[in-house]
Amino acid sequence: MSKKVKIVKGSGGFGGPLVIGVNGKKDKVMYVTGGHKPAIVDKICEITGASAVNGFETSVPEDEIMAAVIDCGGTLRCGIYPQKGIPTINIMATGKSGPLRQYITEEIYVSNVDVDQVSVAGEEEGSEQASETVQQASSEETEKEEKTESEATYSKDKKIMETRAEQENKSLLTKIGLGAGKVINTFYQAARDAVETMLHTVIPFMGFVALLIGIIQGSGIGDLFANIMSPLAGNIWGLMVIGLICSLPFLSPLLGPGGVIGQVLGTLIGVEIGKGNIPPNLALPALFAINTQNAADFIPVGLGLAEAETKTIEVGVPSVLYSRFLNGVPRVFVAWLASFGLYK
Amino acid sequence: MDFIVKLAEGFINLFQTGADTFIDWMGSIVPLVLMLLIAMNTLIQLIGENRINKIAQKSAGNPLLRYMVLPFLGSFMLANPMLHSLGRFLPEKYKPSYFAAAGQFAHTSNGIFPHINPAELFIFLGIASGIQQLGLPMTDLAIRYLLVGLVMNFIGGWVTDFTTSYVEKQQKVKLSKKVHVEG
Repeated sequence: MSKKVKIVKGSGGFGGPLVIGVNGKKDKVMYVTGGHKPAIVDKICEITGASAVNGFETSVPEDEIMAAVIDCGGTLRCGIYPQKGIPTINIMATGKSGPLRQYITEEIYVSNVDVDQVSVAGEEEGSEQASETVQQASSEETEKEEKTESEATYSKDKKIMETRAEQENKSLLTKIGLGAGKVINTFYQAARDAVETMLHTVIPFMGFVALLIGIIQGSGIGDLFANIMSPLAGNIWGLMVIGLICSLPFLSPLLGPGGVIGQVLGTLIGVEIGKGNIPPNLALPALFAINTQNAADFIPVGLGLAEAETKTIEVGVPSVLYSRFLNGVPRVFVAWLASFGLYK
Repeated sequence: MDFIVKLAEGFINLFQTGADTFIDWMGSIVPLVLMLLIAMNTLIQLIGENRINKIAQKSAGNPLLRYMVLPFLGSFMLANPMLHSLGRFLPEKYKPSYFAAAGQFAHTSNGIFPHINPAELFIFLGIASGIQQLGLPMTDLAIRYLLVGLVMNFIGGWVTDFTTSYVEKQQKVKLSKKVHVEG
């Protein structure tokens, strides 16, 4: 049996330690990091004997992936592989965040990993397996207990409402009650999810952007930026240049991750609009100009979600990069045409 | 001494400006987005994912349905990133094009429906906060963003059909135009 690798979190990172090794068909380390190959991939492969695959160029069947290496700043990718049950190593310090954050757990995800965090695993696996079997045995016992109890009319595992829902002859009143309960529960769960999203995703970013605005406006940098940004973002030609740069096929995957570059650019332009340096109707073409690289880093993952074949991903990545480039500038121009009469 | 005091004041001022901006957003944008998120999450739960899957299966044949109607409804119902999963109902050949359109719908509709992509909301909000500062309504901008998006994202998807054909020739492969769905 080949060696296993132990990966711990870096300072400020989250999750882990993960102990992974080649297991049957699972012998590939896939890295989805915009093209370059992080040093940890080599080290992991060296220890475990796995082979490295660039997930940005090709795809691997999910059941052959031993681990995924990503560089996600906290929007999507960091949750996608954990959701599929693939051990995930993030070279950024992202913790539980993004829309799929509920799948990011310490058992399957570790972040801020560099070469120093990767080491050969010791002989702890035997004891771990033993404890797993113990757990299984005990869970079987509890299941048996549940079965005997549920024969009574009301069981202690279920609320009265749930017991009623299982009974076959429901009275009209029960039906109304159950229906209303379901709707209210849906609302409540939706509220819980929404508050979670706000707390973990939107408000942290707001804090970051607010600090950025404070530093830009409070120091002299704001005027400096205004001098650079206003001629560029203050007219349609400049905006088209921004759109062109962001959509360059070799640049767009690097500008994409997390939409962070776009969001910072947007904030900078927003500040200048607020100060009156850029006319407000140009906000519309600006929205398109700062985002021509939209999702360019995400192509293999998105196509993976669409259950695309490997061949399709190999064709799809350059194809979408080209089409982003062809579309980028025209989008800005059309948006400019559509901005006539806005805020006049 | 005066110089040091001035320096300290300037230093604190950096953070005070940021803090004012932050609490302004907490009072205006946060509650509004939160209410919208709750309402939209509920609506999506009540309508259910199955219905949108059915629409997806019927959309394979027509570019207008494929790159405009489907990603628009999909982004609204499934939000980012799960809207990309609807691509599985399309033939291999059209999957890159659907991705191209869907990725953009995750932004252009985000101005009015922030539940679609809350993590990248500041693409819109960064610029829109400037509009808000001028005392102008953000909704005008959000609606035009959505409408221009509707047209241009469709064109984006459709153009990708051609770039896909081009790359196919380059790599000398042929992607299937037939739908192939397991299960």
